[in-house]
Amino acid sequence: MSPYFDQTFFSFFQVLGTRLWLFLSGQLPLNQLAADEIQLLVLSSVGISAALVGSFLILRKMTMLANSISHTILLGIVIAYLLGSTVSEMHEGHLNLPLLLTAAVIVGLVTALTTEALTKIVKLQEDASTGLVFSSFFALGIVLVNLFTRNAHIGAEVVMGNADALSPDDIQLSFVILILNLFFIIFLFKEWKITTFDPAFAKALGFFPQGFNYLLMALVSITVVGAFRAVGVLMVLTFITAPALIARLFCHRLSMLLFFASLIAALASIVGVALSRHLLSTWGLALSTGGVIVTLLGCTYFVAAFIKLFSQRQRIPREFT
Amino acid sequence: MTSSFWAYFYDPVLRAPMLGSMLMCVSASLVGVLVFLRKQSLIGETLSHASYPGVVVGVIVIGLMFGDLTGSQYSGPAMLCGAFLFALLGVRILRFLEKKLKVYPDAALCFVLSFFFGFGILLSSEIQISLSNLYRQVQTYFYGQAATLTDLHISLYGFLVLLIGSLLYLFRKEFKTWLFDPKFAKVSGINIPLLETIFLLLVTASIVIGIRSVGVVLMSAMLIAPAAAARQCTHRLRRMFFLAATFGMISAALGTYLANEISWWLINKYPGTRMTLPTGPMIVLMSSLICIGALLFAPDRGLLIRFFRVIHFKSTCLQENLLKTLWRFGPSSLPSLKEHLLVSTPFLYWVAFRLKRKGWVVKKGLNYELTDQGGVYARQIIRLHRLWELYLSDYVGIGPKRVHASAEEMEHILTPELERELTEILSDPIFDPHHQPIPPKEG
Repeated sequence: MSPYFDQTFFSFFQVLGTRLWLFLSGQLPLNQLAADEIQLLVLSSVGISAALVGSFLILRKMTMLANSISHTILLGIVIAYLLGSTVSEMHEGHLNLPLLLTAAVIVGLVTALTTEALTKIVKLQEDASTGLVFSSFFALGIVLVNLFTRNAHIGAEVVMGNADALSPDDIQLSFVILILNLFFIIFLFKEWKITTFDPAFAKALGFFPQGFNYLLMALVSITVVGAFRAVGVLMVLTFITAPALIARLFCHRLSMLLFFASLIAALASIVGVALSRHLLSTWGLALSTGGVIVTLLGCTYFVAAFIKLFSQRQRIPREFT
Repeated sequence: MTSSFWAYFYDPVLRAPMLGSMLMCVSASLVGVLVFLRKQSLIGETLSHASYPGVVVGVIVIGLMFGDLTGSQYSGPAMLCGAFLFALLGVRILRFLEKKLKVYPDAALCFVLSFFFGFGILLSSEIQISLSNLYRQVQTYFYGQAATLTDLHISLYGFLVLLIGSLLYLFRKEFKTWLFDPKFAKVSGINIPLLETIFLLLVTASIVIGIRSVGVVLMSAMLIAPAAAARQCTHRLRRMFFLAATFGMISAALGTYLANEISWWLINKYPGTRMTLPTGPMIVLMSSLICIGALLFAPDRGLLIRFFRVIHFKSTCLQENLLKTLWRFGPSSLPSLKEHLLVSTPFLYWVAFRLKRKGWVVKKGLNYELTDQGGVYARQIIRLHRLWELYLSDYVGIGPKRVHASAEEMEHILTPELERELTEILSDPIFDPHHQPIPPKEG
């Protein structure tokens, strides 16, 4: 029986606090994590990873490449499972971590390179080559999934995600990904900053801006692969765009943007998990946790945007007086 | 039960899915041409995902009105309406983000796509239990399921395709002007905002028609791939429309056929599993294959064709250079020729072989020698080279020391007409600026 059974929004946090205290004082072993706590940990670390890479994607105007990767990653996942394990294990949640991450990175880079090759060598216009690459890779992935697993639901599950099916293995995966993201962003912060805002200057200084594009693609790939079981490959795009867009309304410094985007993503994940529990307890609505968080993030963005627009509108007359 | 390919067109059970997906792909490909030429291919991706919550909302409304089981016969039109409305809402929000909030289009597309889709997932997770019968119908919109189409759908979709086609036909002149010269379109008094609205309505309509058989996740491919393939094959707008529609139809037919056949094969091979291959991915794969084929092999713009043209031109240049060198130094062996030409050894041997086949050189011992025919050709190239040098120095006024490099390139390009013109302008000269004789015109 989950300790969160039948809890409302506020009592959820009470239970969470109590259990956290029990854990910190050593009375609760780590292997007794409740399903809600697993969701909480996975979703917030996925959210932070996505917010970090998303901030750079938005500043570099490369967001649609994230969309491509989120589609093509399916092919990577399929290949990783075919290579790494018998397919029947796919349900049981045995993740071959290094293989999955490698496959994700390779597929991400292949996506970026193929799109670039189509644009530069075949001379197809950029939007069309992006669309062509991800849709054909994704179609191939779906057909392969159907042929090899003989289960039509996996295709839907990869797109929709299922936060209720998360296992402690997923915590490990999402933490590894978060640490990788943090590592690359903190240690190369200066380089990221300069290649994002002034690629020409960066090149003149002897950096390699194109290399950072590919590194970013690799980070996006591992982030998406970490998220696909929890929220699905499409909803992770909200995790990538929304926190950074919200933070960008109010922040004008890169470090602040990264910090607040991560904060917003983490908060939204926590509130989202509590909210979906609340809806289940009080109204009996079994909603997709990923969907709740995405809707929450989107609505937050609209509210924040209206606040900003409204405050701008008030400021204009003052400038004239 | 496997059937022959043609049975899919007349068999009463099989023909509805086949014709249905073909109609859908035709409308998507036609509109795709507009989208492609506007360079907005990714808007289809966003709008198809944005229509997903509309499908769910349509189902919820029907479910509330008629209940789970009886509602399923009315759900089709309701889902269509819902999808249409939500896709339009998606367009509005997209424009709002870009215009009012100054979000870069890329990020706006991505945000609207995932936000709407996530909202759709939220709604559909709710009806999963309460309206499980209708939920199964919603699921088919994910990757498309043509198998359950009926003749009624066909007439509905046929009507919509006709509508799209006639709108395109009615506004063909306006669209053409707007696509290729927006400024001119504005000056000549075409109502651009109206045209843009029609454009977006067409895109939305074609997506809403298409998601039934291709699915929301992959719908955007049907807007892009046929149009991109058609663009490779022609330079004319009208032909591009026809070609795109044809490509779309072919991929729909092949995709539906293969999806069906593979599903039967799987069911026969693994009797326990109850699964069908969705049509969407197969149709998209077929259209991608057609598009890749066109990208590689299209008569004028194909990658391989362009590649061969470059190779052919390089080989012609080298042949001519080789003839020139032989003419200047007399009979010589290939290793000694290589010292005068910047070329890899295999390519040189191949070109020498080609020249021998053409009868322009003969091999005597180790040395190559010009034949009479080869001599004529070599003198012609020298003539062009020196004519061009003279033209540059006398007529254009470039110093005689700097004209050689340009002539080295132009000698391969100058046509007989240009040669005649040059001879006339320079009044049939005898010496070039370096005081070398210009060979006279032969034959």
